[in-house]
Parts: sequence; structure tokens; C-alpha cells
Amino acid sequence: MIGFHLKRASKDVVGEVILILFPLILIFFFDYLYRNIGIETGLEAGTQSRVSVLAIGFALTFQIYASAMSFETLSEDLFTAMHDRLFASPTEGRTLVLSVLASGTVVSFLQSFVVIVFSIIILGAAIPNLAFILAILLLTVLFNQLLGTILLLWCGSPKVANIVTTVYGSVVPMIIGLYFPLPKYALVRFLRLYGTPMSLANTASLAVMEGQWVRAITTFAPLLVLTVALFLLLKGLVRRVVV
Amino acid sequence: MVLQVREVMKRFNATLALDGCSLEVEKGEVIGLLGPNGAGKTTCIRSIIGLIPVDEGTITVFGMHQDGRNKEIRKQIGYVTQEITLYEEMSGKDNLAFFASLYGMGKTEIASRMDEVASIIGLEGRLADKVKHYSGGMKRRLNIGCALMHSPALVIMDEPTVGIDPQSRSFILRSVKELAKDGATIIYTSHYIEEVEAVASRIYIMDNGHIIAQGTLAQLVARIQGDHVIEVEVRLGSEEVRTRLLSIPDVKEVVLEGNRYRIIVPAGIPILDKILHAFANLPLVSINTKQPNLEDVFLTLTGKQLRDEVKS
Repeated sequence: MIGFHLKRASKDVVGEVILILFPLILIFFFDYLYRNIGIETGLEAGTQSRVSVLAIGFALTFQIYASAMSFETLSEDLFTAMHDRLFASPTEGRTLVLSVLASGTVVSFLQSFVVIVFSIIILGAAIPNLAFILAILLLTVLFNQLLGTILLLWCGSPKVANIVTTVYGSVVPMIIGLYFPLPKYALVRFLRLYGTPMSLANTASLAVMEGQWVRAITTFAPLLVLTVALFLLLKGLVRRVVV
Repeated sequence: MVLQVREVMKRFNATLALDGCSLEVEKGEVIGLLGPNGAGKTTCIRSIIGLIPVDEGTITVFGMHQDGRNKEIRKQIGYVTQEITLYEEMSGKDNLAFFASLYGMGKTEIASRMDEVASIIGLEGRLADKVKHYSGGMKRRLNIGCALMHSPALVIMDEPTVGIDPQSRSFILRSVKELAKDGATIIYTSHYIEEVEAVASRIYIMDNGHIIAQGTLAQLVARIQGDHVIEVEVRLGSEEVRTRLLSIPDVKEVVLEGNRYRIIVPAGIPILDKILHAFANLPLVSINTKQPNLEDVFLTLTGKQLRDEVKS
């Protein structure tokens, strides 16, 4: 079933390409902008290069938009006449939803992977401890996919879920300082480092790149807990919505 | 007994969609479920499949109580949805395989069944194509094929020929007859009377959420055996004339279809002069009398004309 949904997702070539090309273009653009204008990125970079932290930041950002693609796929199954055909079968509603979610996770993770690899090869980003960074990216993919699906099931409308995701996907990167420098207040700094799931993922990634393992674990752990909580919430919602 | 629906009630807020609906289906029967839009056919079917819970009454499928969670029931039902529910970007083969996999079929099983189904639905040689390149009729046939992959003991077809060309319609009807010949139990809903007449061994007529008549075609027509149908064609049909006709004592029902009036009257009653009088000085194109058919039965029982209901 996951194979079918992967094949289904692969049919949207334009969407997939946009989710890979756009972050690469933006990484290049912002790196160029910061380098030539002389302003500093709002991202905390430590000893890492600007392009490296931008690569992580945009990979995380576009995972949110990838989740919108997944829930649009899911909405075609749940909020159209397809619902009856699928749920007339003996396959559990939970399995149907999770198979779309799993394929979305695979596709989104591959996109992030390609963005990181291309950033290293083409844009000269240096990502130390890459395997751990990929593990964080996988967790955030899962988090975003779960969040998107929960939003969809909660609102019952792909349109509303899309708007919420777009707003979320626009605001959260700003909070980590991806687009512009942020004021240096303690509260802003706290939000930038720990205030949102994306902040946690970004902080964990930078900590991994810097070899600060305690900080990495203390930011990765809450993200993991949040992901598990979303999964449990999804289970309940699926039961309520799709049966 | 394949299916037993007993006194089922289903309410959607203020709307009573099923109002004491009861029906029975024996193994090997092809049941025609006839009714205008909004009669409750789809709600009845969705209840049988377990997609919606019923408020009152019981549904028993293959001797098992339908509580909406019974996988054994679902395994044995093939559901052809009213709307085309296919993945357009995928091939016909992908669609058939996917829907078969939902019923627990393995790859080998799917591969061997696919050719049989392709032959039933007449799509041999086209299954590798993407569904979005299919004609409307081909999509309808694939829509049926997806419900047949797991060789269900009960096939439920909800208006499977809506919006297709006559050739595809007759192909689908032939396929239904073939399936019936092979012993499948089929519930076929439609608002096309001629389709139900063509395929069904027994017919249920549904209106306002309940079954108002059931029987074989002959039995149903016999219910109004004592009636005659007078068809009057005029240059320009009007509701005013219809109202005048309905006011004539003994006129049971009048339907205006374009410029043609179908008037149901008891046989043997001299009523023609009154009918002609109702047309006053309107120029008549033709007058015919005929034996009642299923459409007239439906009309007499419900006071509604199926096609007009659909158009509205």
C-alpha cells in the first residue's frame, strides 16, 4: 500500500521538483544576500558556515510545505467519494491514513536529503555529523507530516489546513531567524532556540554540527516527545474521523 | 439469505433518510433498487456496507450482524460507487491492484485475477494506460472492475452507468448479466427504469426512505394491471393542462415530459372525452394508449417521474 502511495506521489513531478529546487535557490540567494550586503543572518551559526545553517533552515522549512502535499493527497482519499470506496474495504482506516503518512514521510525525507546533499555539493555547505543531522531531519519530517494530517482531520477541510500550514510555514522560519536578524532580547532568543518545534530541530542540528551533544539531546528529546504525542493524538482523531 | 434489512431508520439531523426500510436478498438474485434522487438508495447501500451506522433496525449480511466494524462482511462485498473513484494519474492496472490489495489479495493472486476482470470490463490491452486518458465509459467500467477484483459474493452497484454513452451503458448491462449468469448476487441501483428492467430478477421501489413496492417485473406491473396509459402529445405542454387533467375523477396520475402527457387511468372507464376536453382547443399531435410498464408502476406508486426528478 505504501508502494502505491509512493508511486502516486511520484506522479506530481512538478511539486517534488519545486520542493527541492526552491530551497536550493533560497539558500543560494540568502547566502549571496548576506555575503554582499554585509548583514548577519538571524540564525545562530556558531563555528559553522552561513550556507550550512541556511541549508538546515531551509530543509526544515520546506518539510512543512511537503506536509501540505501529503495532506492534500490524504484529503483526496478522505473528503471525496473515494472515502466510501476505501472504507468499504476491510482495511482499517488507521492503516489507510498511516500508509499515506508513511509515503509522505519517505518523500519529504528524500527531499530534505537531496537539499542537504546538493547544498554540500553545489553550494559548498559543510555538514559535520551528517548521519545525526539526517536523523533529526527524519524526526522533523515525521513531526510535520503528523501535524499536517492532524490539522486536516481536525478542521475537516484541506483548504483551511492549507492556510494554517502556510501561515505556520511562513512564521516559524522567521522565529528561528532564517529570513532576517532578530532583536537580541532574552525572550526572542529563547523562542529562536526553543520556542517552536522548528526551533528545537534547528538548535539540535546546530548542536550536532558543533559537537555539543548534551544540548543536542536536550532539544531533540522534546521534539521526540512532541512527535509521539502527535502520533497518539492522530490515532484518536483517525478513529473519530474516518470510521 | 445474503442480506436482510429490517425496519432500518436513519436520520441526518432533521432529514429522515431511511424510514423503516426493509429488504431481503437471496443468493444469486439481481436486485434492482429503483428510486428517484433523494429516495434513500445510497443511504441504504452505505448502511448495508457499514459506512454509516443506522439509528434503528437491523442489517444482517451473510448471516452476520452489520455493526460497521465487521471485516468479514466487507471482504465479501464489492462496492461500485456512484461517482467514479479512481486514481486518475495511475494506470488501470495500478488501480485494480491497489483496490484488490485492500481486500488482502497478494501479488500473485492479483496478477491472475486481473486478466479475468479486464475481460469482464472489456479493458484488455488498455490497463497499462493512465486512467486520465480513458473515456468516461472506460472509467465507469474500470470503476466496476475495481469492485470485482476480490471476487465478492455480493456486488453492490450504485448507479454504475451515470453519465456515459449508450455503447458503454449496454456493455455494462451485458457485464452485469454475465456476472449474474455466473451466480453473483447483485444489488443494482438506478433511476434508469429500462436498466433495472433489463438486469433485475426482482425489483424494490424506494421513495422517501422506504420501500413502497417489491416483486418481479411481472408482479409489479400486475399491480396496475387494471390501468391504462394514455399518451397525448401536443405542440406545447403546460402545467395548467396537467392540473386540469389531474382534476378529472378517475385520473390516477399525470406526467408531463416535454410536450407529452402520460395519463394513467383505470381500464374500461370511458374517460377519453373528458381528457380531450381538458386540452380545450390545444392542437394535439398524437394520442396513444398502451399497457402499463415499470415506469407507470413507479409513477402510480410515487406520483413522481424518475427522470424529471433527476433533471431537477
